[in-house]
Amino acid sequence: MLKATIDADILKESIDAISALVTECRLHTDENGLSTRAVDTANVAMVSLTLKKEAFSAFESTKGEIGLDIAKLKNIFGMMGKNDLISLELPEDGHKLKVSFEGYRYSITLLDPNTIRKDPNPPNIDLPGKVVLSGNDLYNSIKAAAVVSDKIALGIDAAQQLFFMAAEGDTDHIRREFGKSEVNFLNGIEARSLFSLDYLKDMGRVMGRADEVEVSLGIDHPAKFAFYIAGGQGYVEYLLAPRIEAD
Amino acid sequence: MRTPPRGEPLSSPKVTILHIHAIMKFAEFARICEEIEGISGRLEMTDAISRVISGLDEIDLPIFVQFVTGKIFPDWSPLKIGIGPNLLYDAITLIVDGTRSDVIGEINRRGDAGLAVQAILEQKKMSRRSSRGATIQTPLFSQELDLAGVYRNLEKIARQGGRASQQEKLSLIQSLFQNASPLEGRYLARLLMEDLRIGVGEGIIRDAIARAFSVDPRDVEHAYQARNDLGEVAMLARAGEKALREVRIMPFHPVKMMLAQQGTIPGAIEENGTVAAEYKYDGSRFQFHKAGEERRIYSRKLEDVTDALPDVLRVLGGATTHDVILDGEVIAVRDGKPLPFQTVLRRFRRKHGIEEMQKEVKVQPFVFDILYLDGETLIDLPLIERRARLLSVLSDHVAPQVVSGDPGEIERVYQESLAAGHEGLMVKVLSSPYTPGIRGKNWLKIKPSVDTLDLAVVGAEWGEGKRAHVFGSFLLACQDQGELTAVSKVATGFSDEQLAELHELLSDHVISESGKEIQLEPFLVFEVGYSEIQESPNYECGYALRFPRFIRARDDKGIADIETLDGIRERYLRQKK
Repeated sequence: MLKATIDADILKESIDAISALVTECRLHTDENGLSTRAVDTANVAMVSLTLKKEAFSAFESTKGEIGLDIAKLKNIFGMMGKNDLISLELPEDGHKLKVSFEGYRYSITLLDPNTIRKDPNPPNIDLPGKVVLSGNDLYNSIKAAAVVSDKIALGIDAAQQLFFMAAEGDTDHIRREFGKSEVNFLNGIEARSLFSLDYLKDMGRVMGRADEVEVSLGIDHPAKFAFYIAGGQGYVEYLLAPRIEAD
Repeated sequence: MRTPPRGEPLSSPKVTILHIHAIMKFAEFARICEEIEGISGRLEMTDAISRVISGLDEIDLPIFVQFVTGKIFPDWSPLKIGIGPNLLYDAITLIVDGTRSDVIGEINRRGDAGLAVQAILEQKKMSRRSSRGATIQTPLFSQELDLAGVYRNLEKIARQGGRASQQEKLSLIQSLFQNASPLEGRYLARLLMEDLRIGVGEGIIRDAIARAFSVDPRDVEHAYQARNDLGEVAMLARAGEKALREVRIMPFHPVKMMLAQQGTIPGAIEENGTVAAEYKYDGSRFQFHKAGEERRIYSRKLEDVTDALPDVLRVLGGATTHDVILDGEVIAVRDGKPLPFQTVLRRFRRKHGIEEMQKEVKVQPFVFDILYLDGETLIDLPLIERRARLLSVLSDHVAPQVVSGDPGEIERVYQESLAAGHEGLMVKVLSSPYTPGIRGKNWLKIKPSVDTLDLAVVGAEWGEGKRAHVFGSFLLACQDQGELTAVSKVATGFSDEQLAELHELLSDHVISESGKEIQLEPFLVFEVGYSEIQESPNYECGYALRFPRFIRARDDKGIADIETLDGIRERYLRQKK
């Protein structure tokens, strides 16, 4: 059972965070809120999202699991106004989610969770380099890199205490460095990995809205991007596998 | 990973491990394929496969026997993988970067997508790469591929529909290759192209199933004819001879069509005495299934064409109250006269605007056989009894038949058929069972002698002048022991509209392009006319066609149906007489 009311903007932001990587997911509900964890089809990136009950204006739920067609939800919520209040309702053992806003009443057929890939366990990896920067700066770097290449290197220069991004195209290259005035070095140790911009562009659009994003890096290791949504009542973590240099 | 030397017996300890742990890893499948690829003898191959399958569990067995023939889904299944070489290149390019043309270059150099993928995954970089190294996308989780997991993934790919699904298909393919070793990559690529190149045909796999489970190969063959599904037949064989013999034909699970050989009227009567003669209709073969209110129509290639033929569905559905599977031919007619074959195909291919097309092209079904009636499988009954059942349950649209042992009488029916605009005559042995998929002596086709060959389109060349934006000539191949070998080019007989249509149809199937020459993924069959077959050093097969001309595209035929090199040799020897 789920019965909740939420601000349209928060719901959209949450759906966008998930839809950057997957088209469907298993959503877990309990009395404290909602959560999901999903890996993209190609097995390259993972999203974890939690939304506390405090993110809702009203929230009541039992423990359960529902299958969401994220692509469909994104289309439906595309037409909502910014400050609408949306009410969500799912009866016990129900297969249709009732969504109402602005006088519209939707009945959305849910997916059978068993047809969706099980929640992956997050891989056990150590990413020692940690910095915090503004989501906007991060997104702008990603966009700049995408102009010259389809890959981006992210790293920390420990000696200089710099966080950098670099992209190398066939003819052009671009580099942007962030010093202590722009970035908070939680752990400024040497790191550098290369990532596909196909993924980062979609993730960046979501991260660009966050005040702060914590970036964790290693050497030729995945990157983790963690940030709050819903005014601090929601939390998103992206994990992205690197491209490694062939030898 | 250690690669075993070619031809190492499959009974070596690492393979017998199969009997201990239940799940077959894809790496094991790839290793077995590689070993089979190194075996040239049919018996040895059968033996090797039978030893593997006797140890498989109920999950891996059906997948293995299906995969090892290079087909992902059984023929009757509506699931089709639908991946062209372009999608494969895209996926490989995503994993190991380097421009797309480098990947294609590698495939051209090796002449085989499997070997190319293997080499790319082995080198982990392209050979023509500049000093800057290529990069490889790593997966977030590395997981060992297993056979059943690969199958589930392929099933997901086949279930994706529409254009928007291309990205999802690409990601699914990417996820498979990302976790594949080079050897796995080789067989994965070939499996995706549904061409495993290890020489295992249906015959070998049927014999291997019989041997593995100690059942009669004839029972296996019979069950396969009825079910059209190697995986299912393997499971039945595993359950024992009784299960295998009790096999039934089921509605909406199409069976292959029985085929006919060339023959002559005197020869047929000399050998069989009294025979049944029917017109040979110049249309398209179909199979009509009905159970209760549900009805479906399948094409010669067993594709569901129900939606394209609502009129046929209506008239046949109205002509019987029984549950049936019927075999027949549908022809196009105008003012009672049959129209050329090409006209019917326009109806079969139709996905949109079916209503207008119905008015434009009237079609008429002729039913000549019945395979199933109210729960009973009829294929083992003699033709004469099947015919009696057919007449008793279908009130209309039964193809007329003349039974006679008099060559003059049969000849008269033949002339009558030609005069009415049909293609010739079918002569059938009265006592013969219905043998799905078999081209035997029980059905003979008699036509005026026109020299045409059905050949696969394997390449093309850009045209010149006003034809510069379309393909102007095509390279054609026949089959020889499962391999395609070029035998002719054809550049005449096409209208400008046909060339435009062919270009549109083929452009999604381009494997590679160098200069004016295009290499095509073989799927389309041309019927071509010729004046003579000549010996020729120009083509690998040693023969060439004189004055080849395009007659029509045979959309109803697949690559497996094209002329064999033996057939061409035989025609060559015959014309020398």
